[in-house]
Amino acid sequence: MSLLSTTSLVKQFGGLTAVDEVSFEVDRGETRAVIGPNGAGKSTLINCITGMLEPTRGTVEFDGEDITGVEPHDAVQRGLSKSFQTASIFPEMSVEENVEIAALAAEHGSFQLNFLRKRESFDEVHRISERMLDAVELLDQRDHEAASLPYGDKRRLEIAIALASEPEMLFMDEPTAGMSPGETHATVELIEELQDDLELTILIVEHDMEVIFRIADRILVLNRGRVIADATPEEVQGDPEVQEAYLGGVEL
Amino acid sequence: MSDDTEPDGGPVVDEATERVDGSTDDLLERILARDDLVVVGFVLSLFVFPYLLVNLLTQIGEAIGFSIGGYVGLPTLVLIFGIVVIGFNLLLGYTGLLSFGHAAFFGVSAYAAGIFTAEATAFLPTAVAHSPLAMVGVGTFAALVIAWPIGFVSIRRSGVYFAVLTLTFGQMLYYYALGPGAWLTNGDNGFSDVNVGHLLGTFELEEAILGADFLRAYTWQYVFVAVAAVFALWMANRIINSPYGLIFKALGQNEQRVSFVGLDVFRYKHMAFIISAGFAGAGGALFAIHETYIHPTTSLYWITSGDFVIMTILGGTGSLVGPVLGALIFEYVSNVISGVSLPVIGAIGSLWRFVLGAVFVVIVWVFPKGVYGGVRDVVVALTGRGDDDGGEEA
Ligand SMILES: Nc1ncnc2c1ncn2[C@@H]1O[C@H](COP(=O)(O)OP(=O)(O)O)[C@@H](O)[C@H]1O
Ligand SMILES: [Mg+2]
Repeated sequence: MSLLSTTSLVKQFGGLTAVDEVSFEVDRGETRAVIGPNGAGKSTLINCITGMLEPTRGTVEFDGEDITGVEPHDAVQRGLSKSFQTASIFPEMSVEENVEIAALAAEHGSFQLNFLRKRESFDEVHRISERMLDAVELLDQRDHEAASLPYGDKRRLEIAIALASEPEMLFMDEPTAGMSPGETHATVELIEELQDDLELTILIVEHDMEVIFRIADRILVLNRGRVIADATPEEVQGDPEVQEAYLGGVEL
Repeated sequence: MSDDTEPDGGPVVDEATERVDGSTDDLLERILARDDLVVVGFVLSLFVFPYLLVNLLTQIGEAIGFSIGGYVGLPTLVLIFGIVVIGFNLLLGYTGLLSFGHAAFFGVSAYAAGIFTAEATAFLPTAVAHSPLAMVGVGTFAALVIAWPIGFVSIRRSGVYFAVLTLTFGQMLYYYALGPGAWLTNGDNGFSDVNVGHLLGTFELEEAILGADFLRAYTWQYVFVAVAAVFALWMANRIINSPYGLIFKALGQNEQRVSFVGLDVFRYKHMAFIISAGFAGAGGALFAIHETYIHPTTSLYWITSGDFVIMTILGGTGSLVGPVLGALIFEYVSNVISGVSLPVIGAIGSLWRFVLGAVFVVIVWVFPKGVYGGVRDVVVALTGRGDDDGGEEA
């Protein structure tokens, strides 16, 4: 059974239809890539699923429940977590605190009235934070101020925050954008490891074709908001329509 | 940064991968890095504060020919506003929400406490109806009750809109107290029916705890307010070091991310608002006790809200006790410097706001982190201690 599915999802901005009747499914444990030219609606699609934007029409189902239009914190509590395109971190907090706050939300829900306990006493929160920092290899820097990290580390911290929410499904919008080849490589390895370790389902938007073909189980190709292909990497590679629309006829 | 964990960034022994527990050195280090130390320091300074502000400065003033000493009630007044801004800072300094309406909570609490003493004798024993503790309880409760809806509406907007909404609510209450609500508040004549009884039925608040002249500023009222201030600071410290504190700080830095880690931003901002209103309420009730008279202009008016903002920024946002220093400077200038008479200019009098403005500009210019942050930076620079754990926070 699929973990995530959308049905005829539409998002309009004024007259512009950024996401146009998108229906697709993602299976549990799958790594799903979403590709398409700039402005194809990839980010908008993710935003409609994770609660940042309210879809104009259509539905989103996750784990058998209708989650169309829920608020972001609600989506996260249900197991969807999003890693941002730009490193969206808490710059003046320590690396550890950055992750702790997500772990806290995962452990204690979206709101708690009685929180007047010292943070040190939240053992489980610490355990998760450490595990995630370890996973992204930032444990040694845990006391550093987040703002002081180099860019690549900030992006990894961003991923650690997303993971500390203990998601079932992780959405990554261009996680390697702006990274050096070395950092890209490291990030891809990280994603692969995490997937194995945490049994994550991943939806990733990525421009780097090498990365895509290495990690994706299936690819969704968007063009001007519409799905033009939903297939395995091999099938997508051979699809003339995809080549035409997305790659301007260039061989993959 | 706050973190009561280890010093930040510094040449920490490689304990990063494994927390070292138990060793005495390490324990000492951690205690020193904690904000708890700030609370202890605050308590100690309260013992000498009235003497320094009233007796010592008066003596110095006599020696140099200017009246720079505080009056007996001043230390109490400073701490009353200190309590307000400790809470205000949780909202402004941590959560990053600038409210221009906190006079509403201060004022409503003051009126609630005052009206309680006047009316509650009808159904409660006088000892209870006039009890200072009951006044603080009633006032704070009233502040919390109105903070809930005001916050609920205002929090929905951010930035300038939030500030203007809070300002509007504050002004609505001000005009209500001045006009239509006069049956309750006695309007522009002010409410003077504040009957403050003895503390715990025993101690007359106006009296000094001992007869000695060097203790003349140590009134029971000072003791009462000082205990309240310590409690307020302890509460704030507790909050800052709880998950709430972490979330408030996170909200101030990246609100969107907070919702995308799965936390309900609206409810936490609402809580920050209500909590800070509780502190303003406690201060308001103590103000009613201190003044035994409440007027809309000294309690509910928007200028009072603005004063809270000035005190907080002056002292240092985002630090636990910084705002109290802001309250001290503010009240000192408004009550003491205003009475100083200079050779050419003459009495400063109502020019005190001008002086305060100048002080504010200079401090914000020289110490962008406020007095507390500035002093801390200077101390760190002088002692050469590179680590600044607790720096922005302590
Ligand atoms: N908040 C918005 N308001 C108006 N138009 C938007 C907004 N967000 C995206 N768009 C438009 O929607 C289209 C799809 O954008 P986006 O989803 O960001 O594309 P992609 O991520 O595939 O590059 C673009 O034409 C973009 O200009
Ligand atoms: Mg995009």
